[in-house]
Amino acid sequence: MSRSDLFRTAAFRLTLGLVGIIVLGMLLELVLLYGQISTYEKLRTDDLLRRSASVLMQEAPGDLEVRLKERSTSELRVFLNAAALFDKNRHPIAGDMKAWPAGLKFGPTMQKLSFVLPDHSVTVMRFLVVEVPGMQPGRTRLLVLGRSRHMINELWQVAQRSALFAMVPVVLFALLAGMVLSRRALGRITKMHSSIEQIMKGQMRERLPVGRGHDELDRLAGSVNRMLDRLEQLMGEMRDVGNDIAHDLRTPLARVQARLDRVNAVAQSLDPSIEDKERFERAMGLCQRDLEQCFSIITALLRIGEIETGQRRAGFQQMDVVPLIMDMADLYEPIAEMQGLSLFVVPHEGPVSLWGDADLLNEVLANLLDNALKFTEAGGRITLRAGCNELQEPWFEVRDTGVGIAVEERSAVMGRFYRADKSRHIPGSGLGLSLVAAIVCLHEARLVIEENNEEDVVSGTVFRLIFPSVTEGDRLA
Amino acid sequence: MAETTLKKNERQPWPSETHREGENQTPVNLLLVEDDDSLAEEIVEDLRGRGYVVKRASTGPEGLEMARTGEHDLLVMDRMLPGLDGLSVLETLREQGMTMPVLVLSALSAVDDRISGLKAGGDDYLTKPFVMEELAARLEALLRRPIYGRTSMLKLGPLEMDLLERRVRREGREIDLLPREFRLLEYMMRRPNTVLTRTMLLEDVWNYRFVPRTNLVDVHIGKLRRKVDKEGDEPLIQSIRGAGFCLRVPE
Repeated sequence: MSRSDLFRTAAFRLTLGLVGIIVLGMLLELVLLYGQISTYEKLRTDDLLRRSASVLMQEAPGDLEVRLKERSTSELRVFLNAAALFDKNRHPIAGDMKAWPAGLKFGPTMQKLSFVLPDHSVTVMRFLVVEVPGMQPGRTRLLVLGRSRHMINELWQVAQRSALFAMVPVVLFALLAGMVLSRRALGRITKMHSSIEQIMKGQMRERLPVGRGHDELDRLAGSVNRMLDRLEQLMGEMRDVGNDIAHDLRTPLARVQARLDRVNAVAQSLDPSIEDKERFERAMGLCQRDLEQCFSIITALLRIGEIETGQRRAGFQQMDVVPLIMDMADLYEPIAEMQGLSLFVVPHEGPVSLWGDADLLNEVLANLLDNALKFTEAGGRITLRAGCNELQEPWFEVRDTGVGIAVEERSAVMGRFYRADKSRHIPGSGLGLSLVAAIVCLHEARLVIEENNEEDVVSGTVFRLIFPSVTEGDRLA
Repeated sequence: MAETTLKKNERQPWPSETHREGENQTPVNLLLVEDDDSLAEEIVEDLRGRGYVVKRASTGPEGLEMARTGEHDLLVMDRMLPGLDGLSVLETLREQGMTMPVLVLSALSAVDDRISGLKAGGDDYLTKPFVMEELAARLEALLRRPIYGRTSMLKLGPLEMDLLERRVRREGREIDLLPREFRLLEYMMRRPNTVLTRTMLLEDVWNYRFVPRTNLVDVHIGKLRRKVDKEGDEPLIQSIRGAGFCLRVPE
């Protein structure tokens, strides 16, 4: 699994989404916290200002001035950031305000004013204005108390910092968890992929691995497996239908054959002088030939069905494939010669042992040879060869110098009734290679189709069957 | 080249003439045990046309009873039968000392099946689907037991085969044969005047049991014929259209 795969899984994307939601939640929390803090601080400020005002109002007018002048040294400085006494005309009398703040009105309510400080930053303060008795009776003065919002700003900064500190590890942890989950999911997906590959290769019995977790992936795998069961069953039914049709066709065809034979026998006894007798016989001959082809298709179909469903292994034994090849070459040599082809066996020292059914392997060889003969022009060469590869796997091959099979057609030729474009005009059932495929499958062998790359060869095909290696231990086990 | 040779020989008499030869003798009594009605009908009709006297049973027990009580020269038996399967019927008959030749029919072409069919006492085995000519040729071959003597010489008309020296002569002319051609001719000489189908030759001479390309055996026969039947000779190896080949030797 590559790195980019790891970041492209659903699990990882889900984690990324979750990280986003967590970050958003934390920001929301921060905003709420800020609201809480500022409300709390506002109430506290208002409370402090009112209480300070009520304390200061108790003072004698003279003492009040003194208290305000000494504010920076008394406990008032803790609560108040600004305190001043103004006369009725809003001229300063005492305190740390040299002028009536612009916008400040006289009234019982709290007021909020913002100032631009010399360093251009804006600060907000809350003010309370109360009326206090003047030095002379009947003259009132105005007491202005203010408290800045610096406390809120400080709290806000602390909250921001702690939120940021909390966010970094949370996000990192979530990403890490996402990668771990993603890797786990990918591991299971990889296993499923390999199962699916097997199924695509034709191992219809293979199923997806289902864990014991019963999570959505397991349930999906379960569903896919049920689907495969159904597909396998349908394929079996279809094959059965095909076999049944082939089975049912042969009786009527056999009757046609018998009748044709009888008509033919009658025709033979006719007077040769009868006009058109020759044409009639020609037509009969063609009918016979086509009927023969029908029979060969039906027989091949039934044979494939038998091999595929029967799984017969009774005839299996350890055997040497070299004599098989020699005998088959002997059988096919005259027909190759007739077609102007040379057919020979590359000698092999010692036996090539494999586990198989000699009759079935003969059928494979015959079909491959038929094929090679069909697609190789006069003057060509067909070579049979057997051996063992470096993995001790026995193999044999049929190599021709014929038209060759295009790479994209190589897997298709194994399918039933497949004819390559080049071979449309050549008669045949189109089933020979499917029969080969069925027998190869039964032997747990693999069929490799390659281009014939011998030096002096223009085109051509190699059909090579590679069998599982034979060891005594395997067979005894 | 084989094509032209075949064409020439296709004009030879129809194989039913061999049966006509037999019509003078007592007719052959044949028992068919087959449960499929339409197939049985077809076989009966065809064999009657060839001069056989055919009786038919449709179940295993019925077949056993009829075979035990009747006088039959030949038995054709399906493997899958209701009641009692064909092989059990066959085994019972053999245990009771019935020696008539038996041909077993089966829908299965598996080799182990064939072997068990022959082990149970069958003399030949034919898988469905088959053409009637194949069945007829095999029955005929069963009736004419091949010539197996202790002799090391086979003599047949103008042909002489020395089995020890592996030499063949036709009227003194030495015929040089490859081993496979020798085997083929020996098989045919042991079954003279009998129609031999391509499948029979492939099964018995080469020991193969697959459906061959139609002209595979023909090519072998063609090569053999060119060596045996020279220009001017009376042709001994003949093609029987729709059936197979025959080594015809004047009696």
